[in-house]
Amino acid sequence: MIAPPFDDALLGRLSEASGVSGGEDAVRRILIDDVRDHVDTLEIDALGSLVARISPAAPRSSRPKSSRRPRNGPHVLLCAHMDEVGLMVFAIEKDGRLRVRRVGGIDQRILVGQVFRVGANGLKGVLGALPPHLVPRPEREKVISIDDMYLDIGASTREEAERHVAVGDYACFDTTYEKWGSTRKGKAFDDRVGCTVLASLVKKRPPVPVIAVWSVQEEVGLRGAGAAARRANADVAIVLEGTASGEAPGASPGESAPVMGGGPALTVQDRTLMADARLVDLLERTGKERKIPTQWKRPGVGGTDAGRISLSGAGIPSAVVSVACRYIHAPAAYLDVRDPQRVTALVWHTLESLRKEWT
Amino acid sequence: MSALPGVPGHEAPAAEAIAKAFSIHADRVERDRAGNVRGWIEGSAPKPRPRALFAAHMDRIGFLVKAIEPGGFIRLTELGGFDSRTLLAKEVVIHSSPPIVGLFATKPPHLLKKGEADRVIPSEDLYIDTGRSERDVRRMVPIGTPVTLRQPPVDLLGGRLAAPAMDDRAGVAVLLGMLEILHTNRPEWDVVMVATVEEEFGLYCLGAKTATESIGPQLGVAIDVTHGDMPGVKEGDTYPLGSGPSICVGGNIHPLVFEGMKRSARTLGLPYSVEGCPITSATDAMDIQIAREGVPTGVIGIPCRYMHTGIETVAPEDVDRCARVLAHFVASLEPSWRAEEVLK
Amino acid sequence: MSSLESNVDALLPELLAAFGPSGRESGVRRTLRKALRGLGTLSEDATGNLRLHRPGRGPRLLLATPMDAAGVIVTRVDASGLGRVTLLGARAPVELVGSTVVFEDGRKALLGYDRGPGSKNGVDLEADQLFLETGLGKKGEREFPVGSVGAIEDRPARLGEFWCGANLEGRAGCAAVVAALRVARSSRYDLHVVFAAQSDLGSRGATTGAFGIDPELAIVVDVAHLEGKETPGIAVGKGPCLGLKESGYVAHPEALALLKKAAAAARLKTQWLIREHEGTDARAIRAARTGVPTALVAIPARRSGAAFSLAHARDITQTAALVAKLLAGAPAKGGSR
Repeated sequence: MIAPPFDDALLGRLSEASGVSGGEDAVRRILIDDVRDHVDTLEIDALGSLVARISPAAPRSSRPKSSRRPRNGPHVLLCAHMDEVGLMVFAIEKDGRLRVRRVGGIDQRILVGQVFRVGANGLKGVLGALPPHLVPRPEREKVISIDDMYLDIGASTREEAERHVAVGDYACFDTTYEKWGSTRKGKAFDDRVGCTVLASLVKKRPPVPVIAVWSVQEEVGLRGAGAAARRANADVAIVLEGTASGEAPGASPGESAPVMGGGPALTVQDRTLMADARLVDLLERTGKERKIPTQWKRPGVGGTDAGRISLSGAGIPSAVVSVACRYIHAPAAYLDVRDPQRVTALVWHTLESLRKEWT
Repeated sequence: MSALPGVPGHEAPAAEAIAKAFSIHADRVERDRAGNVRGWIEGSAPKPRPRALFAAHMDRIGFLVKAIEPGGFIRLTELGGFDSRTLLAKEVVIHSSPPIVGLFATKPPHLLKKGEADRVIPSEDLYIDTGRSERDVRRMVPIGTPVTLRQPPVDLLGGRLAAPAMDDRAGVAVLLGMLEILHTNRPEWDVVMVATVEEEFGLYCLGAKTATESIGPQLGVAIDVTHGDMPGVKEGDTYPLGSGPSICVGGNIHPLVFEGMKRSARTLGLPYSVEGCPITSATDAMDIQIAREGVPTGVIGIPCRYMHTGIETVAPEDVDRCARVLAHFVASLEPSWRAEEVLK
Repeated sequence: MSSLESNVDALLPELLAAFGPSGRESGVRRTLRKALRGLGTLSEDATGNLRLHRPGRGPRLLLATPMDAAGVIVTRVDASGLGRVTLLGARAPVELVGSTVVFEDGRKALLGYDRGPGSKNGVDLEADQLFLETGLGKKGEREFPVGSVGAIEDRPARLGEFWCGANLEGRAGCAAVVAALRVARSSRYDLHVVFAAQSDLGSRGATTGAFGIDPELAIVVDVAHLEGKETPGIAVGKGPCLGLKESGYVAHPEALALLKKAAAAARLKTQWLIREHEGTDARAIRAARTGVPTALVAIPARRSGAAFSLAHARDITQTAALVAKLLAGAPAKGGSR
């Protein structure tokens, strides 16, 4: 069977949507509209994760309950997280300035001078800094702490600010999705690219029963995926991610890996997971058979939902397939659109391999 | 209630007293395998009824006896986080049988070396003196005996109360208050009040995780203390004593529960604050939310000054308001209320 | 020589030498399967745990001990044949300098470190300063692809009264448990034994294993390294340590009482273990499902500063004796404290 195509336009819509961990509504709405007509069941679980099920054959009205694992191969959990790193409004001061805290891992040095979209209505705000003229020279050698930064929405009193913003509102980077050649630029490719791959996959009836999970709160401790996995009761799990490329001036070829445009990046190990050896082997082999170039994600760094999923219940064999992106967890990242196309194909063909040989 | 011992893993004495207090208004009181105390209120909806779990931890930070040194001096290991600067010259109870009293020993100023008074003593260098002989101490105090700060409750002006273990016995008092209200004002849901074990120490909030696993609630709420207003702390990091509970918002909290609790406070005309929890609420709710197949959670805080000392200070009216808000919230739930949504 | 002692002496060297870095415990699983033949029903689970079940009418008891060991994963190999690695498990990088790394198919390489100018002899060595000498030059990259998982080669030795080995931390408990199972052929417990995988990566095998078994009571057997000030009053050679508190874990009074009773019945001297910074699978099992009363017995051991550590042979045998006595004794029902 031919793998379904990667939906480039969906990536653009998802990238521009706001979905800081705990506030994924806008992303979820786009995904619901996108996949609703293609899947057998669709639910939002107790934590907010979006869960779809789709079988190789369209379901009949009266399915016998005991028909788990007929001849369809293993039940496969595919997971990508909807959330992104960002800020939360923590307090509103008398003069209308917003105090913010980070949600997820962000280098505080990148925040100064950035524009954010605050709250459900996307009100613009700027993270200001004193002009260099007013900063004594020794001070300029120091990193500005987020505790000393304020989000300025233009309000001059607390009452004015509170008409637009409330404590607990999220703020995301204000970044436009753009493309040139095969390059895509946008925010939150970690993990909207995985979300898009997963949505692209379920638009065609898969070779094995698939439980698709678009999870919440990955960036704040892998919180959505474990609960969803416990409920999914799958035999195998593959997590789809946007991961960090190691490319930088002066980096040796070894240090650069994985590289943007280098094909699906496979994980052997990260801080949360020892990938299942059989599953990694199957992914690598499937890549070779289908002439899809693969590369290795750097072991020892990062962590994904697969860590939680693999330990859910009595354990689920798990692996991660990623798109290497430059500058994740920052306002704008790059990716090469051929990578998610290849990830879509690799995962699709791996589902075919799983059907044939996973027992 | 603040006088009861109950360091993490050794909650039995507190559990007994709490079970007794629960039994006045609860339909059923039990102690589960993990050691949690549960008090049930049966709902009025037809069975099977949904269940709401309200958790406040009954453990309190404290110590275990780690070693007895020549001279009968006792070294401790911490269960929960103290600032060692707050421990000097405080009295403690060593919960041996019979319990004995000791204190964190310090040097008189006469014997301090130059500059010594400017240095902080790390907690592993602190020791307890019981004023007893080494022989007696060894005979009376087994290694592993729990130790807690000894501080009778202090009534301050305006009805405010300073005592150890307000974190989170104030939360347990909220559970009691809720039982009293719900006993007569029956909710449609089954409601279970859980005084949890081992929140202050361990990889998990052990009691909350295991109770959620065995009860399988459709809603979970953690009640814990939050930081009261104190000098030198930025506005927005703390919540004034007497200003009502703080209702938390953030990833650890389901938006529907957050909105529902706010609505109840407004309906009752009670003051409240909103507390932003960007990453974690650092309460039992962290483990309630991700237990089983996921549980929609809420978090509510009682403003408390000087947390993790022996003089944790709260305003009792905040405890009362917290109980009323939560009781109203759970009583307002329709039996069909669910956070999950089936779209197709 | 007691039968426990001869069993430990025969088993331990083979267990120490078996391949089994965290998450790739294939070799030690094989060794254990052989050693456990005829002692119960064996199975493996998704995390890589080896499980043994011996049905009984009493309460469901989980006996757990880790089986993994330190390892490395190749992160890249340059044209010079020098590789970089990331460490599997919580070992200090400096301890591994000079070790031989062995891969599952028998290939070997050596671990060195960048001794840059001003370096303080590696005391604060970071893992990314370690390098893997493949001895292969340009071919190294092909022979040791990124993601290759290696173990620290162990050359176990008996030094006087001590057992000494690089993998002692993960394997001494296995030897004690197998020896105990061989001696205590019958017990009234419904006994599940988990030789836990990925223990040193955050008790992952114990987490899934305990969930799958859902025990009413658990005993964890492990090794505890003694650290001067952190563990005052405990010594190697003075008997098994009963866990009172460690990182993330406080003993469950009832489960602990069972160990105390078994120790008294076996006339063994035990020591109390309280430590701040290290922990065992006990903390994960304790929190499994609806909560499992869990106790810990640990074999005291000494670090060498290099890859190997040392444990007193008698402590291992006595730990086995303690476990055997517990299995043979009257079962206690797990329940609330």
